[in-house]
Amino acid sequence: MAYALAGGALAVVALFTLYPAGYALVGSLYTLSPILPTSFAGLANYALIFDSPYFGFALRTTSVLALATVPAVLLLGLLVAVMLNRPFRGATLVKVVILLPWTIPAATGGVMWKGVFADSWGALNAVLYDLGAVHNYVPWLTTPRLAFLATTTAQIWAQFPLAAVLLLAAMQAIPGELYEAAALDGAGGLRSFAAITLPHLQPMLVVVTLFEILVALTAFDMIFALTGGGPGTATTVLSYFIWAESFKMLSFGKGLALATIIAGLSVVLIAALMRLMPREALVGEGR
Amino acid sequence: MRRRAWERAGSGAVVAAVVVFALAPFAWVVISGFLPEVAILTVPPDWFKFGMILDNYRYIVTGEVPRAYQVGGVLRRMISEEVRAVPRAAFNSTVVALGTLVLNWVLGAPAAYAYARMSFTGRVATFYFITASRLIPAAALAIPYYLIIKGLGLLDHHLALILIHTALTLPFTVLILVLYFRTIPAEIEESAQLDGATRPKILRRIVLPLALPSLVGTGLFAFMLSYGEFLFSMLVLGSPQTRTLPVTLASVSTNPDVTWTLLSAGTTLAVLPALLLVWPIWRYMVRGLVTGAV
Repeated sequence: MAYALAGGALAVVALFTLYPAGYALVGSLYTLSPILPTSFAGLANYALIFDSPYFGFALRTTSVLALATVPAVLLLGLLVAVMLNRPFRGATLVKVVILLPWTIPAATGGVMWKGVFADSWGALNAVLYDLGAVHNYVPWLTTPRLAFLATTTAQIWAQFPLAAVLLLAAMQAIPGELYEAAALDGAGGLRSFAAITLPHLQPMLVVVTLFEILVALTAFDMIFALTGGGPGTATTVLSYFIWAESFKMLSFGKGLALATIIAGLSVVLIAALMRLMPREALVGEGR
Repeated sequence: MRRRAWERAGSGAVVAAVVVFALAPFAWVVISGFLPEVAILTVPPDWFKFGMILDNYRYIVTGEVPRAYQVGGVLRRMISEEVRAVPRAAFNSTVVALGTLVLNWVLGAPAAYAYARMSFTGRVATFYFITASRLIPAAALAIPYYLIIKGLGLLDHHLALILIHTALTLPFTVLILVLYFRTIPAEIEESAQLDGATRPKILRRIVLPLALPSLVGTGLFAFMLSYGEFLFSMLVLGSPQTRTLPVTLASVSTNPDVTWTLLSAGTTLAVLPALLLVWPIWRYMVRGLVTGAV
């Protein structure tokens, strides 16, 4: 009976996990392309990738993106959660409004930010010009560093709502008596935040961090719509690189090898982070 | 007292700044959808110099070319039929997302019940397998997914996307539902079992009604993920008729023939469902996810 109940879900997940993973591992060892005959290539695909300067660029871009967005998302999320944790008029409306960026598709978010940053008709340039902050329009999306900044901004915008909401929920689960006791003992706002709030938030902070790292390492949609990986390679992250290798260059084998490398990287990173996480938060109590 | 007032003013300013940050891109998209293109290209900028128009929307709905674009000069060619595909794409996305939602419930709830309440060989191992399956980055799966779908003969069919999106969302659904089902007191089910009710009947009559908030929550989560998913949709769907919203919008936005004002009108139409859904999402999904997770 249990197998009948669980079987459907297992079958779907297995079909879309085991086969692809196996295929990627094996396929990465072949020269595989819709326009070329298939032949065994050994580790040649991996060698090609590690030799290519673009892999280094993409790896660096992805790491910088993760390093810039994950802490920003966590801090902004935490700040917003603290603000919303106190009742004030219009709090519910603010919560709903803040959740908006997260509810729309990432590719759509990319399109919207393109409207903000666009060089000749973007809202940001118009506003800055009106305020007298600039006298010539800033080429946000055609200057490598600025385009990366734009991407980072858009990524933070898309991700901070979820962090804020999850942290807020965790905060509201902390018993109020703890704060009352702390106040009786003379602890101020900052003291009780450090002594009560942060420790109680730790499991949720770890979950959010893990999730955000995964999101940053696999970011694709937003960048595709906002910058298309450019200008040059300024915003070409690893996922975009896989896509370009596989579907622009049509070298599937190399794309699969890249995918295997990235999967390996994320698994190592996540395994390392999981060791930091309290065990109960993950496994739960079995029956 | 004075310190309290300062604190309140400070936190008010922070909240206001965050709200502006969250809303600004939406506001610009909505406003520019009502502007003629010449208005946003004017330097020095003066968005409302030419008034507000409905022509962009009229073009998307009826195909009537906006008068502003017929004037001549360079602007004239900056128009494309492609933007008219947006409403169709939003419909396609809704169909796929609803399919994903239903399949998540049909497959996820029984599985979650089995993991939460029954003991069987391989229970722990397969549960880990399901929850860990999402650790593989999506881009790594792109080519194999494409080949699986091709093998099933489902290229360019919405069913293909529904299957893929279900595989991507089921792990979350199962995990959250298992956590939630466990919070339901087992005694209720045990007494039903003594009365001779079978497991599927207990699930249908007792567990599912009690777990309704988490069902709505996980369902909305699956819906939203599917509605916004881009990479696989781009791979699997080829023809303009079947394309979903993220694919169409990304393609329109990189089409040099589409002006920003037209694209804004299209984007506004595209995000309307999300704007309408944000309140139920806040109410059910966030709470459902959180009661399950904490």
